[in-house]
Amino acid sequence: MLAEIQFTSLAEFLAMGGYGFNVWSVYVIFAVFVIVNLLAPLHRRKQIVREFKRRESRQSQNVTDFDNLESGNRQEDLQGQLNESRDKAANLPGDRK
Amino acid sequence: MNWTWFHQLGSPKSFYALTSQWLPWLVTVMVISMTAALVWALLYIPPDYQQGYTTRILVIHVAVAGTSLAFFPLMAVAGTITLVWRIKLADMVARNAATLGAWFSFVTLATGSLWGSVMWGTWWEWTDARLVSMLFQFFLLLAVIALRSAMDDNDKAAKACALLSIVGCINVVIIKYSVEWWNVLHQPNSPVGMSNSGANGPEFWLPTLLMVVAVYLFLTVSLILSTRNEILHRERKAQWVRELLAAS
Repeated sequence: MLAEIQFTSLAEFLAMGGYGFNVWSVYVIFAVFVIVNLLAPLHRRKQIVREFKRRESRQSQNVTDFDNLESGNRQEDLQGQLNESRDKAANLPGDRK
Repeated sequence: MNWTWFHQLGSPKSFYALTSQWLPWLVTVMVISMTAALVWALLYIPPDYQQGYTTRILVIHVAVAGTSLAFFPLMAVAGTITLVWRIKLADMVARNAATLGAWFSFVTLATGSLWGSVMWGTWWEWTDARLVSMLFQFFLLLAVIALRSAMDDNDKAAKACALLSIVGCINVVIIKYSVEWWNVLHQPNSPVGMSNSGANGPEFWLPTLLMVVAVYLFLTVSLILSTRNEILHRERKAQWVRELLAAS
């Protein structure tokens, strides 16, 4: 039932009895299909974590800037406001989704 | 009957926790079965007396094609659950299933073409109901994806997609029985038995069966991974998601 290995050399294995191009194309397509559909979600997850961390750090930075108002650190405060307005502008098209 | 488990599974949080437990096992079994099936298929299947080594193509083609028929029934069930019980999770599954299903249909068509080009002498045959109905499934899935991204209203989109999914289920029946109802180029399912030989024998269908198992596991893992992402994205304001993201 479980036959032996059908090939005696690598060249024979690659040739697949003359159907090498078709057989190997199918296995390459299959490999790409499987790998892409497993890696894409993992990549997307990293992206979600990155977006979250950026949002969080920005928020905490804004809070710090707010605290710094009294110590007269206007430079950072302006930077914070700039970041905030840039966020709003960047989020505008996303809100429609 | 007690239905709390149903609503519990439908809650994104418990789905996430549950799949966190399942994933390591699913991935392990998937990797083992897929590696075994690939090695078995590529090295051990003896050449068929008519098809030679092209039966190696069919191991992939049969497994992916058979599995691709699961998508529309899955989406129809998920769509019904979304419409009747308003369970968000079902809608997330349906949404991600459409994309993966389009991949499955495309790979089915491509691998079938690569086999047909040497065995039938043609890449494509418009008069073959099996081929055309599979192409229709591919387009129908693209239509579902397009509909989702075109409609801003999530509720309306879910309804429209659930409806399309039911049409898709009818097409699945047509795909399945096309080789029996019409006289087509595509061969019907092979009768399998332990005593057959060549492309009908156990040396062919046993690795194919293993590949079917591996591909179903791959579908499950990929769908769980993308659904978990969608949970993290849609529920990003929930406290448990914030804690989870902060820790990762």
